[in-house]
Amino acid sequence: MTNAEPAAAHHATSALRVSNLRFAYRGADGGFTLRVHDLTLARGEQMLLSATSGGGKSTLLQLIAGLMEPDSGTIEVLGRNVHAMRGAARDRYRGAHIGMIFQTFNLLQGFTALENVLAALMFSEVPPGEHRARAAALLTSLGITRHERLVEQLSVGQQQRVAVARAVACSPAVVLADEPTASLDPENAGVAIGLIQQACREKGAALLCVSHDPAIAARFERVQKLADLGGATSPGPQEAAR
Amino acid sequence: MTDWTIVTRSLRARLFSTVTTVASVGVAVALMLVLIMMRSAGREAFERGSGNVHLLVSRDASPLVSVLNGLFYAGAPAKPLMFTEYESLKKSLPVDWAVPVQLGDSYEGKWPVLATNEDFYTKFEPAEHTPWQLAQGTWFAKNFEVVVGAQAARGTGLKLGDKIYLTHGTAGSRGAGSVHVHKEYKYTVVGILKPTGTNHDRVLFTNLPSAWIIHAHDRIEREEHKGQPEHEETEAEHANEKLVTEADLIPEDRKITNIFMRVLTRPGADVGALIPVVMEQMRRDPAFAASPLTVAGPSREIARLMDIVGNIDQILFAMAVVVMVSSGVGIMLALYNSMEQRRRQIAVLRVLGASQPRIFGLILTESAMIGIFGAIAGIGGGLLGAQVAAAVMRERLGLFIDPTLPARGLVAVALGTLALACFAGVVPAVMAYRTSVAKSLRPLV
Repeated sequence: MTNAEPAAAHHATSALRVSNLRFAYRGADGGFTLRVHDLTLARGEQMLLSATSGGGKSTLLQLIAGLMEPDSGTIEVLGRNVHAMRGAARDRYRGAHIGMIFQTFNLLQGFTALENVLAALMFSEVPPGEHRARAAALLTSLGITRHERLVEQLSVGQQQRVAVARAVACSPAVVLADEPTASLDPENAGVAIGLIQQACREKGAALLCVSHDPAIAARFERVQKLADLGGATSPGPQEAAR
Repeated sequence: MTDWTIVTRSLRARLFSTVTTVASVGVAVALMLVLIMMRSAGREAFERGSGNVHLLVSRDASPLVSVLNGLFYAGAPAKPLMFTEYESLKKSLPVDWAVPVQLGDSYEGKWPVLATNEDFYTKFEPAEHTPWQLAQGTWFAKNFEVVVGAQAARGTGLKLGDKIYLTHGTAGSRGAGSVHVHKEYKYTVVGILKPTGTNHDRVLFTNLPSAWIIHAHDRIEREEHKGQPEHEETEAEHANEKLVTEADLIPEDRKITNIFMRVLTRPGADVGALIPVVMEQMRRDPAFAASPLTVAGPSREIARLMDIVGNIDQILFAMAVVVMVSSGVGIMLALYNSMEQRRRQIAVLRVLGASQPRIFGLILTESAMIGIFGAIAGIGGGLLGAQVAAAVMRERLGLFIDPTLPARGLVAVALGTLALACFAGVVPAVMAYRTSVAKSLRPLV
């Protein structure tokens, strides 16, 4: 098990490395077992992980973000095992090195566009004095001019841009995008993916995008199916057979 | 953007809930403060109002009634004492001074009139170590001169040189038929007093012979009309009447209602121990066997009254505590209800890197803010409420109350409210702490 020193983290060659991951989920709506034998993202690399809906994609991203506990295996972000960290230390690490984008954006309602980006910087390692200028510059570069508008007053397209800005604000090692285009029409979906990819490239962040939308696959150099990595299986006969 | 921004935004987003919760905390705090202030202020007002009197002699039904009537002007004393009784008591007892007082008349039916002698303003002090002081004019020297207390002067607008008539009886006295204005005898205002901060400020003072003359006039009139059917006096009859003078007074006219008494003590001697001895001596005096005197020690009666009132205000205090606690429950419910809507916001903050303790702190801060705003509103409302309550007590009871709460008390109430609010915030904060990020971020369908 790798448990690198914090200083070593930034010298790691890979942004993300998942190995021998196993997570069994059991809920009211049934259960499944998620396996990922090996998934590595180099720094700045962009990858589409395609999977059918409900195939454990969101679960994988939350495991990577350290919001859920795997049964076994390791997840390293910048060479550090996320799950070896506890409580506030893991939250701090997530805030500093991982950005997330959701299908429904999950912006903070009642806060302005600028504040939504500032909220991400609040928990990062960026010095507080730089927050405002950095957030404003980022929003402007993404085409948002009215920074003081409440997010619920923005159009869906603009909300998407705020969500992208928030995800990359802290210059994360990896951005995790969960079905970022699912609620958009094909044309806008293309634009949105373009924005996300551009923003990640500019910030030097690796991008792991999970989606079941085949239309965006062409935009990624690397596309893999979750099933090929190990995949999600329903527990039962198959599980017993192995 | 800081945690503070998140807290204030959240409070503002639920403005109605925030304002009503703050108001309920404010009301509870105000109620608590008014009770605390009025309790100590009321006691002080009562203790202050008896001045330097050791004993109060009257023929009222009970010592407490005699103190309330004789010193706080609650009502006219029931039965009189003869001036001769006063003179013999003064001679037989070891008194420093004894001041005869007659109550029962009023000005405009509202302002009590106290007839007395010069010892009243030279020896009796309305509040201990606070002698009378004239704002204008002089004390009464001749008959039908009147000196007006500070509050009475303000309330009636009387000035030096004004001519007034007095009313026999007060608005509240028994037998409405006996209440009438003595138009025959005109009083002149010769002095206005400075405020003493006591119940005596709403009183008009005159000398005893003036009061006796008015009552002698009534007696003579009754004697003249004896046997005749009762009738309204005509103007002509009225004009023919001869004015009564001091020479017409017979001993029965010389009535008083109370004696203010201070016993002789050496400096440092225990006055409390001497008073019962004097009281006992007075009670045993065969001269009063037929119609016993009521002898009251004002400070003792007030202490007894405060014991009775004390029980009531313990109940009120308990009620205020209950209101306080229920306002705490209100804070908890307001935050608890908001938690359902805020799961997503909390989950997003967690994704952005907020730790569980930080989320816990955010909710607790929010709760504390409601407590702080509530305390501020309550302290403002409480101070205002106490002023209103004091004004009502002054107007209705003539009690001078200075409702102030020491800074330490205010700080204690504010900190108590803060502690209660924090305590109320614990349950919602724990809910927020335990919010499952994974479950709360599922897409809304």
